[in-house]
Amino acid sequence: MNYNFISNTMIKLENISKVYRTKEIETLALDNINFDVKEGEFVSVMGPSGCGKSTLLNIIGLLDEPDKGKLNLNNLEILSYEDKKTARMRNQLVGFIFQSFHLIKELNIYDNVELPLIYRKTPASERKKRVMEALEKVGLTNRMQHYPGQLSGGQCQRAAIARAVAGDPKIILADEPTGNLDSIIGHEVVGILADLNAKGTTIVMVTHDEMIARSTHRIVRLFDGRLVG
Amino acid sequence: MLKNYFKIFLKVASQSKLFTFLSLFGISLTIMFVMIFSMTISKITSGSGPEKDLKKIVFCDRIMTKRTVNGKSTNGYSISACGRTLSETYLKKIKSADIVSMYTGAMPWEFILNGKYQKKLQNQTDAEYWDLFEYKFLQGRPYTKEEVISGANLAVITQSLKLLIFGSDENVLGKTVHYTSMDLTVTGVVEDPPKTDQNATGDLYFPYTLLKNTEAFDEYLGGFNTAFKAGNSNQFSAIHDETHAMIARLDAADTTQSIFLSGPYSQLEKIMRGYGDPEEYSKGSSLFKYLLYALAFILLPAVNLMALNFARIHERGEEIAIRKSFGAASSALRSQFLFENILMTLTGGIIGIILAYLVVGLLGSSLTISINYFNNVPLTFSFNYMVFAATLLACLIFGLLSGYLPAIRLSRMKPAVYLKGGEL
Repeated sequence: MNYNFISNTMIKLENISKVYRTKEIETLALDNINFDVKEGEFVSVMGPSGCGKSTLLNIIGLLDEPDKGKLNLNNLEILSYEDKKTARMRNQLVGFIFQSFHLIKELNIYDNVELPLIYRKTPASERKKRVMEALEKVGLTNRMQHYPGQLSGGQCQRAAIARAVAGDPKIILADEPTGNLDSIIGHEVVGILADLNAKGTTIVMVTHDEMIARSTHRIVRLFDGRLVG
Repeated sequence: MLKNYFKIFLKVASQSKLFTFLSLFGISLTIMFVMIFSMTISKITSGSGPEKDLKKIVFCDRIMTKRTVNGKSTNGYSISACGRTLSETYLKKIKSADIVSMYTGAMPWEFILNGKYQKKLQNQTDAEYWDLFEYKFLQGRPYTKEEVISGANLAVITQSLKLLIFGSDENVLGKTVHYTSMDLTVTGVVEDPPKTDQNATGDLYFPYTLLKNTEAFDEYLGGFNTAFKAGNSNQFSAIHDETHAMIARLDAADTTQSIFLSGPYSQLEKIMRGYGDPEEYSKGSSLFKYLLYALAFILLPAVNLMALNFARIHERGEEIAIRKSFGAASSALRSQFLFENILMTLTGGIIGIILAYLVVGLLGSSLTISINYFNNVPLTFSFNYMVFAATLLACLIFGLLSGYLPAIRLSRMKPAVYLKGGEL
């Protein structure tokens, strides 16, 4: 199958390295990573536990700062990791989906999905419209007053997807989104991601599931902090 | 945004019941004590009953003399209230005040009545005392200036003393009250002054001239207060200047000692000065000292609450990581945490204010605080906007003090640690 992508490179990593240091040990989490993702691509990242997949996602998502190398997001080179700037970029460009859903248990589903729009200072009427659209996309409008503890795993992950897309980000970073779900629900979730991708959202997904990975445009493999294959 | 923070605050508070209870308990107890103390001080210094014009009165009740040898001060000094001669001959001549009065203030008076031991208070005054303070006369009249000068054996008593000595007799004017070796004829009966009054105090009042001047050995030192009543507070600086000019003249004329007069001070300044060295008293440093005490009093429970907040930081780690992932800057997280903390302290503060009113309302008359040696003041209910506002401000400071450092720590937490259990 041929995929036509707009030539715009959405994510570009050049010689990215990351070392975690404690008093006793230094761990090389990423070693000289060069990695591009085009706009509209759906890329899977695979590798054994501890190889640096989540670190890679955290760096792309500006949750962590590399020790060496350059990062470009949406044709913008990240020159500074100053807190307010990275927070704003994260809010505008990136939506996260986590293996453990990570919904705030003290807020209902509506409030959880609304979260990125609150930090974007979106007006209340616009927020409501976007939250409802996001909940409709994942089929959770009838559960929006429920709390995470009242939902199933699949419903929680769908809520997390709604939260990730409510702000209409250009990039979605999904860290093992099906890891805590059974295979049927897992495929449903991947289906939702595929629909989003079909509409133009760039997705980078960490997964251990070979079948799910093969349904994406490209598979990238990491081993001991390096890209292989 | 604030609605979102408020929801989180309510949920976190209801889920962590022990933490919420400990926080609210500490805050409300502190605020309760601050409020009770403030209400009582406010009542004492604002004036009521005979002291209702307290804001127009300033007092001299402390003088210090230091021995000098060859014009140089020695280490020997004496501090006391004003001497009878100082008050009578010098201070009462001050012209800047509308009324000048000298009186001893409440002194203990112990006697046996019908075989029972009694402990009451007596107050030796001049005639101007009854113009200085607004006693309500239920019977008769005060003694006059002429009667004071002539040393007439007269007395004014309070209603409660009248009932104690004379029982249910309606008219006690002209009857006799026995004080030490003297028989005093009752010339007036007054309503009992409130226990919060610090100057208009006593059960038995009589002219100071009845007792021999045992202070003749030293004209400056003794046991008298001198009070100056002005038409308005603008006269106070003139009163101050005139009294100090007078003392300066006396000081210059006396080569054996140097003389320092403390005041004239308002009631609040007298309380702030306390019993310390009058020469070293300054309003600024005394106010600073009491503000430090207040801050220390609030600081201790604030530090406790800060420790509780630090202990709970990791419980909020996941939530902070999620918020950061979706665009919360560290400043937004600090604001959230401070907002929640201030809500907690305000809630505790409101509980403390309600507790203060309940405690004073239910137990006030049986609980006292000691303001001076002879007078334990009962806790007193009074609603004062300044005290209320100051208490809420204290809560705000409390919230900021106990929340700021934990908020900084929280906002600096690395999200990656909490988003996937620390996997690298």
